[in-house]
Order: sequence, then structure tokens, then C-alpha cells
Amino acid sequence: MNQSPPHMSQPSVIINLTLGLLWFIVHLAINIFSLWSRLIYNIESYLISIGLFPKYRKFQLERLKYLAIVVDSREAKNVAKIEQLLCWLSTIGVKYVCLYDIDGVLNKTFEPTMNGSRDVDSGNSHDVGANIKALICCRSEMTVEYISGSDGKEGIAKAANLLCSTYFNGDRDARGNDEIVFTEADMSGALKAIGCGGPEPDLLLVYGPARCHLGFPAWRLRYTEIMHMGPLNSMKYGAIVKAFYNFSKKYQNFGK
Amino acid sequence: MPPLLLLPSHCPAATHQPPTSARRRASLAALPCPRAGASPAPEALLPRGLRAESLPRHVAVVMDGNARWARARGLPSSVGHEAGRRALEEMARLSGAWGIRALTAFAFSNENWSRPKVEVDFLMGLFEQVIHDSVADFLREGIRLRVIGDLSRLPVSLQKISREAEEATRNNSLLDLTLAISYSGRREIVQACRKLAEKVQSKALRAEDIDEELFADELATGRASGGSPYPDLLIRTSGELRLSNFLLWQSAYSELFFTDTLWPDFGEADYLDALSSFQSRDRRFGERKF
Repeated sequence: MNQSPPHMSQPSVIINLTLGLLWFIVHLAINIFSLWSRLIYNIESYLISIGLFPKYRKFQLERLKYLAIVVDSREAKNVAKIEQLLCWLSTIGVKYVCLYDIDGVLNKTFEPTMNGSRDVDSGNSHDVGANIKALICCRSEMTVEYISGSDGKEGIAKAANLLCSTYFNGDRDARGNDEIVFTEADMSGALKAIGCGGPEPDLLLVYGPARCHLGFPAWRLRYTEIMHMGPLNSMKYGAIVKAFYNFSKKYQNFGK
Repeated sequence: MPPLLLLPSHCPAATHQPPTSARRRASLAALPCPRAGASPAPEALLPRGLRAESLPRHVAVVMDGNARWARARGLPSSVGHEAGRRALEEMARLSGAWGIRALTAFAFSNENWSRPKVEVDFLMGLFEQVIHDSVADFLREGIRLRVIGDLSRLPVSLQKISREAEEATRNNSLLDLTLAISYSGRREIVQACRKLAEKVQSKALRAEDIDEELFADELATGRASGGSPYPDLLIRTSGELRLSNFLLWQSAYSELFFTDTLWPDFGEADYLDALSSFQSRDRRFGERKF
């Protein structure tokens, strides 16, 4: 028996069209909202960079002794952007910046072209260690340290290795069966000895798609303020100034 | 000064989220408590917009802002901590209902011992009361409780009740709830080092064999959070943008979500915001193991 082909009633067609239209309108509204917010962000960053807002011109940077920058390793290959970032930081008045990417792209990219000498004295003064595992160069009064994932968890494992080796190579007879006691100072000393020391950053800026620190040395992250800045390609001078301003307003009670 | 507009979570300037009261609240039906040991909640139980396959497996939270919440209301800090307790209970319930496998909450840091004795004593008493009163709920809801930190500094009664609660709930499997009390990330790293040294001393291990994996196994969280010691999402409330010595090793790849909401006010809508933000991020970590 032949059956008549199924067909939609007029009301259901109208409903489907209406729902589709509503879906389109909602998506359009979200996209417009997203574009608007990007526009506001870009305008604000530009206005900050030309010094239009007095508060962003006059804040104090004394609290920011050590700055760290985490860069997604894929984006770290953009040498021009990294150079520009360092130039901006130097212009703002940053004295010490630690650049980190987990795969060591920055280490490989900048070590051969590093200007200035391996500043042993600078390294020692910042607890990076006499062997200078992290590369240091002086860029117009700004010290730059380049580190990678091998300075993070791998560094802690090596420090543990060193602590254990030192402990058991010492005077075992004197220790007898004493309980093994390590302190935070012991770990700090071991990290320094293998060249994974270094100061704790006051502020850490993260450039990349994900808002995480990507394995930045855990030992140095206790009280570091962490701010996500978005992709390196979209970095803005005004956004950095705003981040520094917001940092200058922060108060830490360190848990007390 | 209020923000110019509400920035979407992908906008880099949105370093943290404004308080929930300034944003639209989702209207959600109350979620039932699943049976102990039940499988993760089906998609139908998830709030609209959340996808089960991309929810974080392990969520960590720094519960900050109890005292400020109380001060803003002219109340003693003890009231703030009580309100914070209720917020944690709600977050644990939601985590279990939505299929999140592990929740680690930073309740008391090593540095908090410097707070006034009255406040510290109150908090120790509160922890003891909470753990004691919650065991029956944990058993019914399939929550396994673990307590990590320098437990030797805790009152003996709290140590005892914690051990008993851990033992009573050890076979639960719906949600691993870890409370970090008297906890310090640096101390945890040093303790792991000490445990490795003991293994070297007993010849179970050679010093030169110590690597990242062996080290991670000795951390307190390695045993406390079932199969996922590393939080996928780390939430901090009250507008602070730092880890404060919490899960320093474990947070390498954790999505960091900072919100201005004070902890006692952190509710279902705020949790949804955090989870939605997590799902909307482009988390491309390639082949790197962590």
C-alpha cells in the first residue's frame, strides 16, 4: 500500500524557523559582546600606553623586585615579540625578569645571541648559583634569567638526589640510626648548588592560551601574584602597565 | 569603580571574575545526592552548558575570605568560618553530583598558626566538629575523606577524629575529599625528600635513581586523591591571585580561576562559572607528561 510522504505541518515549520532565528540572534549577540569587549580592552590598553590615565603614570614599582614571565613554548618561538616585551619591561623600570617556558625554547633561542657576559656576580647575588644553570645577561640595567622545565620539577628531583647523596656520604657512624631530618633551608641550599636557585618572583605574568604556570619552579612560587595576560601575539604595553598598577595595590598578609 | 562591562572569560583582561551578585545567576533545579559508590552523574543531571566529557577530574580550592566576609557584616570571624564550612559542604555535594572525582580544599596553612590563638583554637574545634558530624554524610554520599598537612601540630583529639574518619570512609569511591590542614607546599616537598632518603637508607632505592616520578609518588597528595593527584582546576576566592604555598608541585598544569567572591558566598553559580571557564579554555598540552 502506498503511503503519502510525511510532511511537516505549517505550525511546526514556523516553530522550527523561529527557534533557528532565536539561536542565530543569541549567537550574534554573544559575538557582538565578545567583539565589544575586545575593542574596549584594546582602547583601554592604548589609552594607558599614551599616558592618559594619571594613576597608571604615577604608581610605584618598588615592591616589584623580581618579575617572572611564563610563555607558552609554541609562542616563545616568536623572538621579535619576546625582544619587544623585554624592551617594554626595561622601559617601565623592571630590574630583574625571569623568562620561563617549559620546553626551553627561550634558552635555546637567546643563549647564542645573548648580549653581555655571563654575569657570575649577578648570578651569585640572586642565588642562581655559581654554575649559572640559568642564563643571565644584563640588558640596560635589567637582569634577565632564562629558565625552563628542567629547572622546575626536574630540578627539585635533582636537589633531592643531592641531599640524599650528601647525607649518606657524610659521617654515617656519627649519625647512627638518627631520624633523617631535612629542612626547607636544606632544600634551598641544594637547589642553589645545582643552579636552580633564584629569587621568588613577586609577580608572574602568563602569556599563552591556558591560565596556568606550566611548571614554573614550584619552590619559587609560594607567594607570587599570578596574572594571565593572554596570547603573546596580542600583548599590549598598556595591559602590562595595568597589571603592574594592580600589583602595586595588592596587600599580602602571608596567611597571618 | 565598577567594571566597564562584563568581560567574557577568554578576554585576557579578565584576570579574575567579579562577584556573583554582579552577574546573571543560572536557574537550576536541586540535584539529588547520588548513592554511595555510584557512577558519575549522567549528562541529564548536569547544569545546562556543562559537558560531562570536559569537566575537570580534580578540583582544588583555596577557601579565602571568611574573616573578611564576617568583618563586612560586623560579625566575629568565627561566624565567617561557620559560613565557610557551609560553602565547602555545598561544593562537595555539587562535586559529587556532577561527577567530579576529587576535591582538595585548603583549610588551614602553616602560616595561619600565627593568627590569634583564639581564632586558631576556634578553627581547630570547628575542623573537629565538622569531621565528626560529617562522617555519616560521607558514608551515605560515597565521599572518601583524607587529611593532609603537618598533622603533628594539630590537637590530639583532631588527629584522632581525622584518622577515624579516614578509616571509616576509605572504601568510598564517589568523591575523594582532601582537606589540607596545617599544610605547606614547601614542607610537603621537603617531606617527600625525607621519605626518599629513608628508602635510600633502607636500600630500597639508590639516591641516583630519584626522579620526578619517584618524587611525585612520595607527596602527600599522591596517595590522597586517588588516581588524579594533580588538580585540573584550582579556584581561589576573595580576589587574591596567588597560590600561597598550596599545591606548588601539583599545580603545574592546573587552570587557575581567581574570583573576587568571598568564600562564604561561593555557591553553585560561582562554581558553574569556574567550570564553564575551565571548559572554554584552549588547553593544549600536547604530548608532555606532567
